[in-house]
Amino acid sequence: MIIQLIINGITVGCVYALVALGFGIIYNTTRVFHFAHGGIYTASAYILYTANVILGLNIFLSFVITITFSVLFGIVIETLIYSPLFKRNSPNILSLISSIGVYIFLVNLIAMIFGNNTKILRPGIEKTYQFASVILTRIQVFELVTFLLLFPVFCIFLKKSKLGKSIKALSNNSTLAIVIGININRVRLFVFAIGSLLAGIAASLVALDVGIDPNIGLSAVLTAAVVVILSGVGNFEGAALGAFLLGLIQNLVIIEISARWQDTITFIILIVFLLFRPQGILGKQIRLEEK
Amino acid sequence: MIGIYTILSLSLNLLVGYTGLFSLCHAAFYGIGAYSAALIMTNFGVNFFLSLPITVAITMAASLIVSVPSIRLKDDYFVLASLGFQVITFSVLYNFVSFTRGPYGIHSIPRPGIFGIEFDNHFFYVFLIIVLVSLCFLILWQLSVSPFGRVLKAIREDEISAIALGKNTNNLKILAFAFASGIAAVAGSFYAGYVTYIDPTSFTISESIFILSIVLIGGSGNLKGPIAGSIFLVILPEILRFLNIPDTIAPNVRQMIYGGILILLMRYRVQGIWGEYKFE
Repeated sequence: MIIQLIINGITVGCVYALVALGFGIIYNTTRVFHFAHGGIYTASAYILYTANVILGLNIFLSFVITITFSVLFGIVIETLIYSPLFKRNSPNILSLISSIGVYIFLVNLIAMIFGNNTKILRPGIEKTYQFASVILTRIQVFELVTFLLLFPVFCIFLKKSKLGKSIKALSNNSTLAIVIGININRVRLFVFAIGSLLAGIAASLVALDVGIDPNIGLSAVLTAAVVVILSGVGNFEGAALGAFLLGLIQNLVIIEISARWQDTITFIILIVFLLFRPQGILGKQIRLEEK
Repeated sequence: MIGIYTILSLSLNLLVGYTGLFSLCHAAFYGIGAYSAALIMTNFGVNFFLSLPITVAITMAASLIVSVPSIRLKDDYFVLASLGFQVITFSVLYNFVSFTRGPYGIHSIPRPGIFGIEFDNHFFYVFLIIVLVSLCFLILWQLSVSPFGRVLKAIREDEISAIALGKNTNNLKILAFAFASGIAAVAGSFYAGYVTYIDPTSFTISESIFILSIVLIGGSGNLKGPIAGSIFLVILPEILRFLNIPDTIAPNVRQMIYGGILILLMRYRVQGIWGEYKFE
């Protein structure tokens, strides 16, 4: 039972990690609290639904269409909304408010088109695999595999590629990044593209796993934000660790108390961290002047 | 409802507009207010007007749970902490079934009345809400012209200077938080007495975001802005009805318009319709 819950926690953690890596790369680099990440997440899930169920396309083709659209959403939102604010040197809170605006707009557009009820992409019982006493559904295996494939790619990209290095430079010190000739607007665009790509992938997996409704994005983006704070702002890869931790804690509390309190637990952890270790698990102590 | 939202947005404005605290948990205080009023009135048979001060006191005490720990946090962190409180409050209201009756809500809440006479006509409610709105307006107006209000504005503009001038900014912020949530509780009590049935779905994150957008659309930092925002909020559904938008999608269209307005405001007119604070 406990092993099963730990495994469930890890698979949930994989999905959280994907959303959080996306949210984190955006937040760390641009300091935009990208609330609309949740909107992109919801929209991606519905695009998958449209392509796969309504248009009846093959699942892989639908998946490709979905992630193409999520990347496009990310780029469009950055170009139309955040970029002008950034160029005007506005305070971060303005991009946060605009982001909430984008989120409300997208989610209600979706609710208007598709209705508020939950939609299931895969009716019937999923194929399951049994390993000793642990049972995994096929989609859970997919979630694990996707994460295990993407995470190393993500890390190597950040560490080795020129673009990845520029992203890290920008998050470290944006003024200096401009001075050494990094095209800041181009890097921002890429960051949003990558972040939204990850959101699209995660949304597709979750949509296939548990179905969709217009509000799935809200909890996704909130969890991602919690994970990023938990693992330490400024730490790109660390989000994965925080995600697994959160996934595990959420699943292990089921033993002691009811699953209904998961959200409460998540946010109590957040508040405890904000108070006692605002730099996160992996974050370095930041000097006061740098805050 | 106009009155309720006017009270809510006026009180949130004390935080967002005056103090520069960007709080996303106002619906939580509204909810705590509504629930404590409902529980006091149904369990102890206390009159609406007697329960009002108790409710306000409870909610102000509850606000300390958020404000004391999170007041030191900056910008995004504060927003996230307040959001966290909002989520926690909602799930307590929803899951603590033995106490709040969870998703079933609390029904047959007594209507407000004096000397055993229950007033249940619309005229009375309109009268009562006008009295309450004016009362809250007066309190907030007095606060905003008092030295307290001026210090809050100073904190908003430049917190470090305010500290340098010997103001204990953290305590003042906590006080502002308590005032704002106490006034939100007035709106909550009235809501409970008005609809006589409450459940947790009226006090969600979306509600908090909605109250915040009223403040932002109307404009923050003075008392005119939130009123303008609330009036706009009332006119908009009427316009939509006039345009013959079917009822099934009307709420979504309305929300989309709010979202769109928020985006446009941040781009072109940060201070809202009639506000003065530009978040700089």
